[in-house]
Amino acid sequence: MRPIYRVAKATFHEAWRRRFLNGILVFAILIIGSSWVFTYLSPGAELKMLIDVGLGSIRFFGMLIAIFLGVRLIPEEIEKRTIYTLLTKPVTRAQFLLGKFFGGLATVISNVLLMGVAFYVVFAIKAPQFRQMTPEEGPAYSMEFMYANVAKAIFLSFFELALVLGIAVVASVVFSWILAAIFSFFVYFVGQMSGFFGHLADPKHGAGPLARYVLGTVYRIIPHFEKFDVREAILTDVPVAWAHIGTVVGMGAVYLTLVMLMGYLFFSQREV
Amino acid sequence: MTVIALAIRTEDLTKYYAVGLGRTALGLDGLTLDVEEGQIFGLVGPNGSGKTTTLKLLLGLIFPTRGSAEVLGLPLGRSEYKARVGYLPEGPYFYEHLNAPELLRMYGSLFGLGGERLESRMRELLDLVDMWTRRNYRVVNYSRGMRQRVGVAQALINDPDLLFFDEPTAGLDPIGAKEIREVILKLRDRGKTVFLCSHLLKEMEPLCDNIGILAQGQLVTQGNVEDLLAGKEGHYRVEATQVSEELEQSLAAQAVETKRLDGTFQALFASEQSAFEAARTITSKGGSLLNVGPDRRTLEEVFIEVVGEES
Repeated sequence: MRPIYRVAKATFHEAWRRRFLNGILVFAILIIGSSWVFTYLSPGAELKMLIDVGLGSIRFFGMLIAIFLGVRLIPEEIEKRTIYTLLTKPVTRAQFLLGKFFGGLATVISNVLLMGVAFYVVFAIKAPQFRQMTPEEGPAYSMEFMYANVAKAIFLSFFELALVLGIAVVASVVFSWILAAIFSFFVYFVGQMSGFFGHLADPKHGAGPLARYVLGTVYRIIPHFEKFDVREAILTDVPVAWAHIGTVVGMGAVYLTLVMLMGYLFFSQREV
Repeated sequence: MTVIALAIRTEDLTKYYAVGLGRTALGLDGLTLDVEEGQIFGLVGPNGSGKTTTLKLLLGLIFPTRGSAEVLGLPLGRSEYKARVGYLPEGPYFYEHLNAPELLRMYGSLFGLGGERLESRMRELLDLVDMWTRRNYRVVNYSRGMRQRVGVAQALINDPDLLFFDEPTAGLDPIGAKEIREVILKLRDRGKTVFLCSHLLKEMEPLCDNIGILAQGQLVTQGNVEDLLAGKEGHYRVEATQVSEELEQSLAAQAVETKRLDGTFQALFASEQSAFEAARTITSKGGSLLNVGPDRRTLEEVFIEVVGEES
């Protein structure tokens, strides 16, 4: 465990010195903070915008950070040759890969936490006025589940971004980092639409057998990233079920394990 | 019968690199080599001759296309020997946000070192490479020489039995280079095995016990330094500068062979007596005598001879 921790720690400290990542984080916090500009909207619409922009920004900018960080973690070690002095010490390739992943994950989580705190501050300031909405202003929000739901949404983002990061790290072992970034974006956006593919693969929608097979295969293989998005539940003011969270986290964990295993298979053969 | 312990043994070690579209490029061709424990072995060769490829194969950073090797008695691919080796890569790079003590603590902890033992080892090594007074500089602010010094320190953190040094004095000033050479000799005196790769022949000659010369991926010659550099038996060599053409012609008549190398006149004589007579003549005619002694070639001469033949 010690080599994994050491590599992860060094990765985390190096990652925080990347200016482009800090830039993304600052920009994201500015966007979340700028939810103030929606005060001219009616309270109901304002709450929707606040949730959409805030949680959407956390997911979107978190995804950008996870992919751009993930695809550079290992290639940079190879380009800068820092990997030579690590892999020639008692550090196995599996430990190195996991160390890079966990160091990247700690960076992503801390970025998401900072964005989450920014969102919570804005939300806590704005929330009291949503309790006093009249029926004309929009649907009545009990706000009973809101804080817990927002916390659950941010919690799910951690797992979603862990999977995105894992895909980016492993893709960078197989492809060049640019191709790995394109691949990771592709998987993420297709994963956001996985429900749509499942819908189209349904025989009652009239697709041919080949199209159904292709769409069905994509639906079964691709991670269902849209399931990590619980904004709809928050806006309809119903609690996000723990059963749903458990299912989604379980699915993410299985995908992540498979992705990291594949990553190890490629990295163990990779010459540096 | 004396059993010689081997630190490194390679058998037909070969590496072809994939260069795209199904094409390959030769990195190393059938290297068969034995390196005894407790010696300094130098692998020399022109750029691209396969020195770094050899190191990377032995350290498991790349994988052989053919052949086998053992490091400290363990076959390639076994990670157990990593705990007993140290490696200084060519032009080493480190995490830029760390300073020298933080780097050594990180590397030391990978070997399970910690506490007071690691702190004293770190202090000892930073003193050894003259980095203690500059220990708080971050790697990002290091000169090439400082990186090299810290590179040597990290290679020694686990007190390894076998050291791989790739161009150990690159980027160092003459004093720094001398200090590193002294470190290498001290390591050998303590029974460590040092595997050196360099193209600095003048540096390797007095340092190494055994030398192998690589050219175009092939080991063209190897052996004990004294044997490799030994000249013609019973012959004596005279080296001098400021020798006129007239004097050179006169000496050539008595010598077995004469030549000029970088402005230095060299003559080979069949006996000690004729060599010393020639030396006296040179000094009496205003020449500046550099050396008179049994015939011994320089590593540079051997290198040019064998590499020239190959290319």
